[in-house]
Formats: sequence, structure tokens, C-alpha cells
Amino acid sequence: MTYKAIIIDDEKPARDIIRTFLKDFSDIEVLAECSDGFAGLKAIQDLKPDLAFLDIQMPKLTGFEVLELIDNPPLIIFSTAYDQYAIRAFEMNATDYILKPYSRERFAQAVGKVIAKLQSGIAIQPEVQKIIMSADEKEELLNRIAVKTRHKVHVIGVGEIIYLEAEGDYVMIHTKDGNYLKEKTMKYFESHLDPEKYIRIHRSYIVNAEAIERIELYDKESYSVLLKNGASLRASSSGYKLLKQILHM
Amino acid sequence: MIHPVFQNLRSISVYFGTWILLAGIHFSILFFQFRIPLNIALADSLIYNFLLCMIGVALWYVIRYSMPGNHPGFSFIFNHFTSLILLLVFWLGTGYALLSVLFKDQAVFMNFLGLSIPYRFIVGIMLYAFTGLAYYLILMYRDLQDKAKAETRLNELLKESELNMLKSQINPHFLFNSLNSISSLTITDPGKAQEMVVKLSEFLRYSVTSNINTFTTLDKEMQNIQRYLEIEKIRFGDKLVFEFDMAPGCSSRHIPVMILQPLFENAIKHGVYESTEPVKVLTRCSTFADYFEISITNDFDPSAPARKGSGIGLRNIRERLRLMFRNDSLLKTSASQNVFQVILTIPNQVVENTLKQ
Repeated sequence: MTYKAIIIDDEKPARDIIRTFLKDFSDIEVLAECSDGFAGLKAIQDLKPDLAFLDIQMPKLTGFEVLELIDNPPLIIFSTAYDQYAIRAFEMNATDYILKPYSRERFAQAVGKVIAKLQSGIAIQPEVQKIIMSADEKEELLNRIAVKTRHKVHVIGVGEIIYLEAEGDYVMIHTKDGNYLKEKTMKYFESHLDPEKYIRIHRSYIVNAEAIERIELYDKESYSVLLKNGASLRASSSGYKLLKQILHM
Repeated sequence: MIHPVFQNLRSISVYFGTWILLAGIHFSILFFQFRIPLNIALADSLIYNFLLCMIGVALWYVIRYSMPGNHPGFSFIFNHFTSLILLLVFWLGTGYALLSVLFKDQAVFMNFLGLSIPYRFIVGIMLYAFTGLAYYLILMYRDLQDKAKAETRLNELLKESELNMLKSQINPHFLFNSLNSISSLTITDPGKAQEMVVKLSEFLRYSVTSNINTFTTLDKEMQNIQRYLEIEKIRFGDKLVFEFDMAPGCSSRHIPVMILQPLFENAIKHGVYESTEPVKVLTRCSTFADYFEISITNDFDPSAPARKGSGIGLRNIRERLRLMFRNDSLLKTSASQNVFQVILTIPNQVVENTLKQ
């Protein structure tokens, strides 16, 4: 049985070495090479490979954004020069995470894991521990969000966010160019956006402080936050306290 | 500085233990050799040694303010001579006064006491010298320890700042990605791999050996930039295009070492890393009467939401320029529709003055 693979990396030499090392595995066939995130996303969706080699820093979309946007992702081996993303990579169920430059042995080990997974269907625990120890454990703040509408992928800079609204298991991102649904929790955005700028004013709302026009008393317990675009959001009493503190009112 | 006697429980017990021992010797001499009655011998040894013990503690302060290094030889000797006389007169006088109050009807003892004063005086000088010497030794030891500590700390700081300097000069991801390219080229194109190793080594050597506070010619700086761009070109191929347009007088002008490197790194990072189309990095240099100007422009993809850099690169450059030229407006950045530009102005005067020094 042969398995299908795709290589996504913006540097040609980096793609070449993956292709070269893959020659040791007669049961893996390379379907495509892509040099940016968009092309990679499209190739994965069209060609449905069993395995994708994914760089992280790439034009258009990062490797993480690509993975977030695929519905049924293939097995992923991240290959990157950045060690600080290892934890996030494994959180996203990557099979392995190889640091550039890597040896033929290390590469074979990663591919071996993928083949074992594909053959058995049994999840093999990656050697998370070892990498976590060497990784710089810092939660990075988002500076952009990739969302998918029916046929298009949009990349929204966090500065464009007016406010976020909880919608069941999703979050509606309101921007001046339109609203986008993203499959993430409010809690995720609360911890991945700059808390000085994006304020959780209510269980259902996170608002961009710059978009606020004024704040009015709504009833005894709650407040209305009126935005520059005309929208009006409810703020809970704890949300109002947070607002007061951050805006120095 | 803490008094050596009161450093800890051990030093306290050693000090007072020594005086109890001395008092014991003093008592034995009086009691066994001179057959002085027990109560008198006891009082004599206790009073004199207790006083001396207190004087010994006070001597520390004399020593502290009369270090041989602080004063020329004469005043050092004079200080000690004065303090020695004063302390001994105080010691013998107080001891004599107390004992004569206690035992004024013991004529034999009072006579003995009067005769023994010169001997007590000599013993006092010796004890003064011993205690003083001990204090000086302690001070010297502490001084040595402090110096060793300060030296270690200084070395640490130096190493730290050197490391930080290196960090600010070489982006580790650039390094690792370049090594990965080399790793790949060793298989696919060994000749090119060799070429890249040499370029990368030259680039690293320039970065590592440059002293951040010095000036170099624009020519040398641009040679290094050229190497950097060529390495990036191997990684990104046709996606990176670079062009230089240098006015004739530029190459011999002086600029701070490695000041351009971060600007080109930014051009690559925000241009090439984020684009799928070819990105042109254009460098221009023009000379003017009192200054010269370097402009770096790069295309960028305006549709890609800016991936925020740490901003450390530009901040470092501004800080260096401010320190070297005392001017905050030498670095200007601007962005048009899809072209980003930085202009660096280097005034002639300051550079010439600095070079003369």
C-alpha cells in the first residue's frame, strides 16, 4: 500500500531535502509541493493526502492556520526552525515536530510514526515530553485570525476586530467588512488576545476597547456599551468593573 | 560594614572566650606567682580584662577609619599612636580607679598595683597590636572576597551583554533555516552547499568580530549585506530580487557597524517571508554636503495582515543612533501602497569627530 504525501514549505531547499529523504520510503508518494499556506490548504483539500509536511512561518497562511482550516486533516509532521511552537503543535495533534536542520535518522523516525499510525490506526503518543522541556513555554498572543467562509479563506488582523460574540460552539467575529464564524471558544480568544485591548465585558462579548463610543447605565445591575459602528452590547457588572479598570474611568 | 566580633554566634564566642582565657591567665599569675588574695586577684583580672575586652571592640572603629591605603604613612602612624595612648591611659586609669575604690585599705596590693603599671602598659600595647592586626587581616580578607565577587559579577555582565549583542545581530531562525538549506544542498547540489557555507561563515565572522561601538566603511558593511542577501536568495530563489544604486562618494563613508543588518532583515521578513510574488529590495545611497543617506525599499503584500515583529530591531537601531549622534530623527520609515521604505541619515561631522578620537 502506498501513502500519499504533500510537502508545504516556502523554501525550495527545505522541500528538496524532504523529497530526498522520502526516497528511503518506497511506500510514500509525493503528490505535490506547495510554497505558501494558501496553496498548501488547497492542495490538502483537493488531493486528500495521508500525510503533510508543514512549515509554520509561510506567506499567506501559517502552518497552524492551514491546519485549523482543514476539516479532516491528514497526519501532520511540522518541520520548522522555531522550537517555541512545539507545545501548540502537539495540542493540534501533530504526529511529530522536527526541528530544522534535522538528520536522516530523525526524519525517518518521524515518518516511521506516521506509517505506524496509518497502518494500525492506533494513536502513538509522540515524544512530547522531550520537546516540551527544550521549548520556550510562552503563550503567544494572536495577531491575526484565519477564517473560512463557504469558498474563501479570510485572514483578519486582530486590529480589525470590533467585537466577538459567543454563538454556541462558535464565536462570531464582527469586523467592519463583515462577520465571520470561527470554531473556537470565548475562553480561547480571551486568553489569546491582548487583555488591555480586548475586554471580556460579558459572558457573550469581547469588545475592542478602541471601538467603544460610550457606556450607559442599562438597569441597576448592567450597562450598555455603545460602539462607534452603532452596535450596542450588554456588559455584566463584572465586565463593567474590568472596563473601568482598563479604561481608567 | 558589620563588626567582625558580632558577625555571628561563633565570632562572638571566640572573641569573648579569648578574653575569658586571658583573664584566667591574668588571675593565675596574680594568684599563684604573686600570692595575691583570691578575691583581689579575681577582681583585678576581671576589671582589667573586661575593660580591655570592651576597648578591643571599640578598636574596630579606629581601624575602619584609619586604613593604611586611605592615609599617607605619617598620619596612619600618628592616628594609631594617639588612639593607643588614649585607650591605654583610659584603660589603666579606669582600672586603677576602680581597684583603689574597692581595695583602698589593702596597702600591699595598692603598692603592687602601682609597681605593675609599666608591665600592664607593655601588655596593653601588645594586645592593642594583636587585636589591630587581627582586624586588619579580617578587613583584607573581606576586601579580597568582595573583589572576587565583583569580578565574577562583572564577568557575568560582560558575557551577558556580549550574548545579547550577538542575539541582536544574528537571528537564530535565519541561522537554522540556512543550515537546513545547506543540509539539503549537500545532497542536491554540493557545489552550491560549499558556496553557501563559505558565505554563511563570512557573514557570521563579520557579525561576531565586529565591535558594536565602532564605525566601518559603507563599503565593508554593504559587502556583508550582500552576503546576507545572497544566502537568503539561495533559500527563496526568484522570490528575492535585490538591487543597489550607490552614488560614487558613498563607499568610503563611515557608518556604525552592523547598523544596516537589522533593516535588511526587516525588509526580508516583511517582504519576502510574507509574499508569494517576487519582492525587490532596493538600496540607494546619496551624498549631501553635511550628511549622507541610505534608503532601503522593499515591496510587500498589503493584503497580508501584518505579522507583528517584536520591533526590537528598529528600536535597537534608534537607541544606537541616539547614543552615537544624540539625534532622534535619523531613522525614518514610511509605507506607501505596497512599498515600505526606511531612510537612514548619517551626519558627517559627528562621524569625523568620533573617528579622530
